Amino acid sequence: MDLENTKAQMRKGILEYCILSVLSRNSCYASDIIKELKEARVIVVEGTLYPILTRQKNAGLLSYRWEESQQGPPRKYYELTESGKTYLDDLNNSWQELVDSVNLIRTR
Amino acid sequence: MDKTININISGILFQIDEEAYGILRGYLQSINNRFRNVPGGVETVGDIESRIAEIFESQKGTAGTISVSNVEAMVAIIGKPEDFDNNDTEPEPQEYTSEKKRMYRNPDDNIISGVCGGIGAYLNTDPVLFRILFVIFTVSFGVGLFLYLALWIALPSANTDSRKREMYGKSYSSAVSNKRNADGSYNADVPSYNKGYYNTSRIGNALNEIFRALGRVFYIVLRILLILLGATFVLIGSLLILSFVMLLVFKYPASISSSSFDMNLIYLSDFLKFVVNPLLVPWIIALALVILVMPLAALIYWGVKMIFWFRAKDGIFSLVAFVLWIMLIAILAVILFNEGISFAETARTSAQKIFTTVPDTLYIRAGNRVSDLKFEKELNFREEGYNIMINDERKELYIRPYLKVYNSESAAASLELRKRSSGRNEIDAMKKTEDLTYNYSIIGDTLILDEYFAIPSGRKWSADNVGINIYLPVGSVIKLDKASLRLLHAYISEEYYEAGDAEGTESCTNTWILTNDGLEPANGSELKHR
Repeated sequence: MDLENTKAQMRKGILEYCILSVLSRNSCYASDIIKELKEARVIVVEGTLYPILTRQKNAGLLSYRWEESQQGPPRKYYELTESGKTYLDDLNNSWQELVDSVNLIRTR
Repeated sequence: MDKTININISGILFQIDEEAYGILRGYLQSINNRFRNVPGGVETVGDIESRIAEIFESQKGTAGTISVSNVEAMVAIIGKPEDFDNNDTEPEPQEYTSEKKRMYRNPDDNIISGVCGGIGAYLNTDPVLFRILFVIFTVSFGVGLFLYLALWIALPSANTDSRKREMYGKSYSSAVSNKRNADGSYNADVPSYNKGYYNTSRIGNALNEIFRALGRVFYIVLRILLILLGATFVLIGSLLILSFVMLLVFKYPASISSSSFDMNLIYLSDFLKFVVNPLLVPWIIALALVILVMPLAALIYWGVKMIFWFRAKDGIFSLVAFVLWIMLIAILAVILFNEGISFAETARTSAQKIFTTVPDTLYIRAGNRVSDLKFEKELNFREEGYNIMINDERKELYIRPYLKVYNSESAAASLELRKRSSGRNEIDAMKKTEDLTYNYSIIGDTLILDEYFAIPSGRKWSADNVGINIYLPVGSVIKLDKASLRLLHAYISEEYYEAGDAEGTESCTNTWILTNDGLEPANGSELKHR
């Protein structure tokens, strides 16, 4: 078993959940999301984020608006849609269940 | 001095040095390749590009132009495509809309060729429905079979991943996980074979298995029939080629045993040089041989293809061969047409001679006889009663004239000598008839006829013919010798000829009587006139 691979697999599963969680507080620009995720050490490179954002947006979980930037091209500010919010609630519940299950097994 | 290049990323202009530009371009290309086939990939690439612009913009404070180190720093932030995690390469099912869906033959769910499997995948339905429909329409109207064969030809096989995606459309990802393994079993984690892209009942599944078994039988029967047909093609093609080569090149007729194809015709190629320009003869024979052999070679090739059931990209080759074949036919036609002009017109001459004394019995003898002639080859057009004898050494042709006996409808007796030739025009043809040398003489009650007429040396054959018509009163008796009897050959039936020949000698022992119905043998009158 490759430890790094297992870690990557674990991160992968929670990445979408983390993105939605970040956006649940306020609307964000991609770099803001990246900053938070990087601080939490969930992602290593930024390129991972963009395809997931596109996918979530196309799935109707996110919407975005353009905002002019002082520095560089206009930015996309993402926010959760209504279905994104319910989706996130479901994920919150199942995350809690997962944590409980894992804790139950580990502390037994 | 370093060369700098101006580039535009997401609407912002940057100056970049040449080396850094090369790295950036390679990086963007790899990003493009990574997202090209991913749904929403264009948008993702756009997002990444504007992020690149932003990073460069923030770096610009330190240096005027983008350097290699700037690009490397940017790549470290965004990451190389291979560092992005892979779970987004699987296409999103909802991205495959119905407009991208196409119908293919399904090689993963086939009984004969996968037509029904493909329709099922396309319509997201159990293929057994279409299998039943095809069987019903085949049994009741017969159209099912034709429709099936048409679809088999028309629909391409979904033999690549992208085609499979187009075939399954939305349900692709679930369908591929249901794909049969190479050994025919199904993936262990998918217990029900059809679960993925269509729901089927147990009966449908059983029917599908029954059709699968029937399909295998049908396929084997079809293969056996094709192999038999292919073997027949190869056999026929090879035999005919062998025959033609033997006949035209080696003049060896043993491979042809058909009675309609007279053995003497093997000298047709030798005769050709008396008909057309001798220089053209090898060309004509070669052309004719190729024209005859090419379709047979194609027949053999098809046969081999049927037997071994392989696919070859021979479309262009076949087309070229076909065009070549047509061209060769055209060339041969032009050559023959040019030569044929010398047969454009026909001239006939006729000379009459009256018998001074009308004989009760006319004796006909041969003057110059074929048996005294020297010739190497003989062509026999039996149907036309036309023999051509070839003397290659003297380049002379000898031909038997015909002899006919008619009722004169009076007490008089006469003889008519007819000559016939073809030529470029009537005058030419007329001249050619004059070249034909033929001798006859009447001495008392004896008519002496040459058994052949000669075409002079060097002169080509021009469909020449000579005929002797004898007009006698009814009741006249004719006695012929063996050689002159042969001249009557075309005029009287085979049985007469054989009967006369049996007792034939050099003397005039074949006796015939002219009746109102024509000539009849004096003995054995049960034989009928032709």
